[in-house]
Parts: sequence; C-alpha cells; structure tokens
Amino acid sequence: MAAAAVQGGRSGGSGGCSGAGGASNCGTGSGRSGLLDKRQGLTVLPRLIVNSWPQVICPPQPPKVLELQWKIDDKPVKIDKWDGSAVKNSLDDSAKKVLLEKYKYVENFGLIDGRLTICTISCFFAIVALIWDYMHPFPESKPVLALCVISYFVMMGILTIYTSYKEKSIFLVAHRKDPTGMDPDDIWQLSSSLKRFDDKYTLKLTFISGRTKQQREAEFTKSIAKFFDHSGTLVMDAYEPEISRLHDSLAIERKIK
Amino acid sequence: MLSLDFLDDVRRMNKRQLYYQVLNFGMIVSSALMIWKGLMVITGSESPIVVVLSMEPAFHRGDLLFLTNRVEDPIRVGEIVVFRIEGREIPIVHRVLKIHEKQNGHIKFLTKGDNNAVDDRGLYKQGQHWLEKKDVVGRARGFVPYIGIVTILMNDYPKFKYAVLFLLGLFVLVHRE
Repeated sequence: MAAAAVQGGRSGGSGGCSGAGGASNCGTGSGRSGLLDKRQGLTVLPRLIVNSWPQVICPPQPPKVLELQWKIDDKPVKIDKWDGSAVKNSLDDSAKKVLLEKYKYVENFGLIDGRLTICTISCFFAIVALIWDYMHPFPESKPVLALCVISYFVMMGILTIYTSYKEKSIFLVAHRKDPTGMDPDDIWQLSSSLKRFDDKYTLKLTFISGRTKQQREAEFTKSIAKFFDHSGTLVMDAYEPEISRLHDSLAIERKIK
Repeated sequence: MLSLDFLDDVRRMNKRQLYYQVLNFGMIVSSALMIWKGLMVITGSESPIVVVLSMEPAFHRGDLLFLTNRVEDPIRVGEIVVFRIEGREIPIVHRVLKIHEKQNGHIKFLTKGDNNAVDDRGLYKQGQHWLEKKDVVGRARGFVPYIGIVTILMNDYPKFKYAVLFLLGLFVLVHRE
C-alpha cells in the first residue's frame, strides 16, 4: 500500500502544469502534479497538495487563438532606417537596455518625472480653462481665462528651459548601488546626439563617483551604418560591444584610482 | 493574424514613455486651445475668427475674418459686423446700414448684406426690428482669403472631420518625437 502510494505521487506527468487550456512552463521544478487518482487514498493527499501548489499560483493561460502578446521586448528592433528620430530612439533604447540588463544598474526616473510633472501641470491649466469657460460663458470668464492662458505659456517656457538646460540630451540616469551599502551610489548618465540628416551618432557615458563626487566621461562617435543592417534591423552584436567598451573604459579608471 | 508593425514602437515603451505620448497629444491640443482662448481674451470677442458664408463682392465664401469686440470702439455706419440673432446659432456677417444712438451710448442698428436686395429685418426674430450691442460678436478688422474652405468642408461632411481628427490623433500618439 505504501509503495503504491509513492508511485501514485510520482505518476502525475513530468514537467508542465496541466491547467485549463494551453501549456506553459510555470513552476517547472515542482510541477509534477497530475490528475488526482482517487485510488490512492488519504495518505497521498498532502503530498499532492504540495505538488500542485505551483499550478494554483500559475494562472490559466488564454487560448492560443487570441494570444496577442503586447510586450515585444525580445523581438529584434526593426525601424525605418531613413527616419532619423526613429534611429536615434532605437539606439538610445538599446544602450539603455544594455546598461540596465547587463550591468544590473537601477534606473533613476527623477529627470523624466520632472518633465512629466511640468507637462501635466500645463495640461491641467488648459483643462481648467476649458471647463470654466464652458460653465461661465465668455464675458464673465475673462479673468480666469487670462490667468490660465498666461500660466500655460509660462509653463511652456519652464518646460523649454528644463529640457534645454537641466535634461540636456540625457536619456538615462542609472545608479549602481554600493555593494557594502555604506557609500552613496555611483551614478552613470547616458546622453546622445544625432544631427538631422547626418549619420554620425555620438553616445556619451558619464560616471559620477558617489564617494568622491568626481566626474569622468567617455564617448564614441560612429556612423549608424555600423549598427543597422540594410533592412533597418538593429544588430545588437555590433552595438553591444561598443557600449561595453565604453563602460569598461570608465570602470577600469575607477579601479586604478 | 494582423501584423501591426506600426505599433511596434508603442509596444516597446514602458509606462512613463506611454504616459509621455499621451501628454504630448494633450499638449498639442492644449496649445491650440490656449491660443484660441488667448485670442478671445485679447480681442474681447467670443469667436475671434469666423468663416464668411456670403458677402460678395467684399468677402467670398470661405474667407477667414479676424474680429475684435472692444467696448471703447463705437459701431459706425458702413462697418462690417458679425452678429448673432437670438435663437440662431450661426453668426451673420453683414454691413451696418442705420444707427440710432442715445445720449448714454445705447445704440440700435440695422444691417444688410452687400449681396442682398433688402435689409435684414426678414432675418431678425419675430417682432425685432433693430439689433443691439449685445447681439454683436465682433467687428471685422482683417481677413485671410480662401483658408476657411477647409472648415466649411469639415462642417458639411462631419465624417471627414472625424476621420481627419482620428488619424491625426493616432499619428501623434503612435509616433515618437
């Protein structure tokens, strides 16, 4: 009886949950739950519950027919190679990806959040003006309208100053946490530029040491033709070593000091 | 299976970038709105730019008129005014024919379209023979020819207007700057 019970516990198929519908690889390690075999009796019940726990956590997958995955992080990046801004954006995003995934830095959203806040406040003034004018037809709403319009254009001015002087062309601020936990974080900043109708892409990496507050930079300027193939697909095998080289050149200097 | 390649950029965006795309769209709409409201405040008229329907030979269908409605400027005979009759939505662009003015500045005036044979009393409300300052939307100060035809087209064919706006909106939302 005991032998049969053990065998019953292991008899449920190997690997994969047999949840409702599609197959998935959730809980590959311990997903050995099979169909509950009523002949086994109460002794095997606790073990089967333990084994089928990952299946319960893993939600049933939607049927394959309607599966339209929204996120396509794994697909190779393909853009229109003649569109300058698309090229720059894809190069920036890939550089960001390399720094965050390969070196496991943590992104700091401070700059981006500042810009989003300014834009949100501007839109808020516009919405207030719209609603106020709707509720109190024109001649009475003049002072409020004047105030909203002036505030909106002031916010636009602030936004322009912010993007030109504070954000410059920085698109990534990443922190490297100190492994000992005592020193403040080291900061890595990425900024890039690609002139209109030009093919030379400049990527600048800035390193600000947390402890000494010293700043070091390295940059490279390469033609975008080196990173894209003729159909517009970004070839990560050609791009990633450049980023790594840039990063290591700054990191090595740090070790020497 | 539809391959929505043009959405690829959007699918790769994180939450902040998606929010920024929406904000971008909002800011474009807000800028247009704020410029319009700003013009309203500066000129004092509630509709500072109107499209003329007919006032030949001075203005042709589709001309854009720039209006002001300052309290200090008195209305004089011969000026082109844009007014709205009570109960009707569309403002009318006609010339002032006669004015009766009281000592305290209160005026009553009669209008007539240049291309019409009779004055506008037939257009006014039942029992109304004169227009007053409160009916005035503004006084014509300048005009740009032909540009208003797009607005007329969009009003005559609302589906065209919605299609244009939808496509513009989609383009702004999907395209990264």
